[in-house]
Amino acid sequence: MPLIETKNLWKTYQMGTEEVHALRGVSITIEKGEYVAIMGPSGSGKSTLMNLIGCLDTPSQGEYFLNSRKVSQMNDDELANIRNREIGFVFQTFNLLPRATALHNVELPLIYNGSSAQTRREKALHALDRVDLGDRVTHKPSELSGGQRQRVAMARALVNDPSLLLADEPTGNLDSKTSIEIMKLLDALHHQGNTIIIVTHEKDIAQHAHRVLSILDGQIAEDIIVPDHQRNGVH
Amino acid sequence: MVIGSLFRIAVSALRAHRLRSGLTLLGIIIGVTSVMTIISALEGMAGAIEDDLSRLGPSTFIVQRIAIITSEEMYWEKIKRKPINFDAVELIEKSCDLCEKISPRAFQSSRIKYGDQSLRDIFVLGATYNYVDIVDFEVAQGRFQSYEDDLYRRPVVFIGDMIRETFFEGLDPIGKEIKVGANRYTVIGVAKKRGSMFGHSQDDFVIIPLSVFSKQFGFPRRGLSLVIKAKSVDVLDDAMDQVRMVLRAQRHVPFDAPDDFDIVTADSILDLLNSLTKIFRMGLVGISSISVVVGGIVVMNIMMVSVTERTREIGIRKSVGARRRHILTQFLFEALALTLSGGLVGIFLGYVIAEALVGMIDMQITPSALAIIAGLSISTGTGLIFGIYPALKAARMDPIKALSYE
Ligand SMILES: Nc1ncnc2c1ncn2[C@@H]1O[C@H](COP(=O)(O)OP(=O)(O)OP(=O)(O)O)[C@@H](O)[C@H]1O
Ligand SMILES: [Mg+2]
Repeated sequence: MPLIETKNLWKTYQMGTEEVHALRGVSITIEKGEYVAIMGPSGSGKSTLMNLIGCLDTPSQGEYFLNSRKVSQMNDDELANIRNREIGFVFQTFNLLPRATALHNVELPLIYNGSSAQTRREKALHALDRVDLGDRVTHKPSELSGGQRQRVAMARALVNDPSLLLADEPTGNLDSKTSIEIMKLLDALHHQGNTIIIVTHEKDIAQHAHRVLSILDGQIAEDIIVPDHQRNGVH
Repeated sequence: MVIGSLFRIAVSALRAHRLRSGLTLLGIIIGVTSVMTIISALEGMAGAIEDDLSRLGPSTFIVQRIAIITSEEMYWEKIKRKPINFDAVELIEKSCDLCEKISPRAFQSSRIKYGDQSLRDIFVLGATYNYVDIVDFEVAQGRFQSYEDDLYRRPVVFIGDMIRETFFEGLDPIGKEIKVGANRYTVIGVAKKRGSMFGHSQDDFVIIPLSVFSKQFGFPRRGLSLVIKAKSVDVLDDAMDQVRMVLRAQRHVPFDAPDDFDIVTADSILDLLNSLTKIFRMGLVGISSISVVVGGIVVMNIMMVSVTERTREIGIRKSVGARRRHILTQFLFEALALTLSGGLVGIFLGYVIAEALVGMIDMQITPSALAIIAGLSISTGTGLIFGIYPALKAARMDPIKALSYE
């Protein structure tokens, strides 16, 4: 039973009188525990696909099963529930609440599932520890470096123990040294059993994954298993 | 637990924009303040008058040439009336078998003197010995006039507490001689202090026998005022009817014409007072509602700005699993916290202002529960009504669009 199964996903945007097909029939299957990179030129539909997989959006056509549940026809609140429990999302632009501390940012998903204040705090502190930020919990985003901000975002994505970790160009706003840190963290998380999908432009980054999906014009062009010896970050 | 967190989120968002939140609230504060002031002040005023009227017992009524005027036309109509004279008193005594006691009285304003001290514009009441039985006031010292005092036209005077305080502080007033107008009177008693109402002392009066009053000041131009006590509360209406019949006959009022005199009871005065303050109240509450509505529109506007400004925040919250109702509640709480704090400030200010006003006119005021409830429900209502649209707008945002909002 795959973790993710999409069948002929289409996403069409209406731009005035013109129709933009961001995705044209994407069918993929991803098993639990996989580490997948999605690559492709700008505008090819990578983010669109990630948003569908992350339940932030719904397809215009096609079906999407997550953990064998049909997500493609769910309403807003059901999707919110899935995002809250099953998915951790990391964005290129971090998307942290600027006025809140690292701890509060990480607690955010737990607020919406009714966890007690104490549980929230414990889980958030633990998640911050996992990303090595145990000593920055009271800092606000403006008081953190770009790499640290992205790690706060990763802690937030992890805090609910989701079945799926999604990262859309997580290193896009970071320098190469910081990017390596973030990728090490992702590798470690994968090693601990998390299923990870990452969107990237860079071959170096993609080579951390076990499998690379290439998208061209809203369609899957290639689906390659990366041989162990070609992988980055494997020791 | 979710609710508690959402409430804290709302409050901290307001704290982040203190000045803006404060300015937003002006309308609500002004509205609630005025509702609060008006209701408290009117209740205090009605309470004071009620208290005063309660001195007339429930079975007592007053007959006067003119007792109530509510319009200018009424004034010009009533001013033509004939005064009530001593014949009327005699006739009522003879024919009203439901009347227990009748006390005619007359008023005059005059100067009074003791030694080289003098007081101007003192309320001089000419009354009969039974006045003290009908109108409930207490004798603090000495005695009230007797039947004989009136019969033999003795120059005796019963004084209000303010007169005692001014002339006889530290002295025994009984037996002292004071001058009322040009004539000398012996002080026989002092009334218990009544305090003041609407800035006027109610203790600046002297009471002399009506017979002596008529001799000194002549028959009062405005006629006599009759205080009549019915045999019981049950026969009050019938007693008033008997008096009405006697007076109409004596004054030759045609059968189809209205009375040419006024009969009032404490209740009828209170009714009138209530209907007058009700109009007043409704008018002013109307005006304050307008400012609350304007305040509500300002709140709605500021909430729209807040929702737009925080589009990204909404996107972030939704992306980690906030449902529509979480976002709705958060922004509704924000509007509510805003208007409720305005309401609380308004309630406080309204109370302070009402107290100050009332202090100026010497009235007692109690914080009116009605006013507080009105203030709280007005502000809650405004928050809900004007906060729901912006909150719905926030709740319905599409997460992707909200996240990519610049
Ligand atoms: N809200 C939208 N309305 C209209 N067109 C859109 C919208 N979102 C995306 N598109 C279009 O869909 C296509 C795919 O966009 P998408 O963001 O998925 O590309 P991408 O592969 O992530 O590109 P990049 O590498 O630049 O992030 C693009 O042509 C884009 O213009
Ligand atoms: Mg993209």
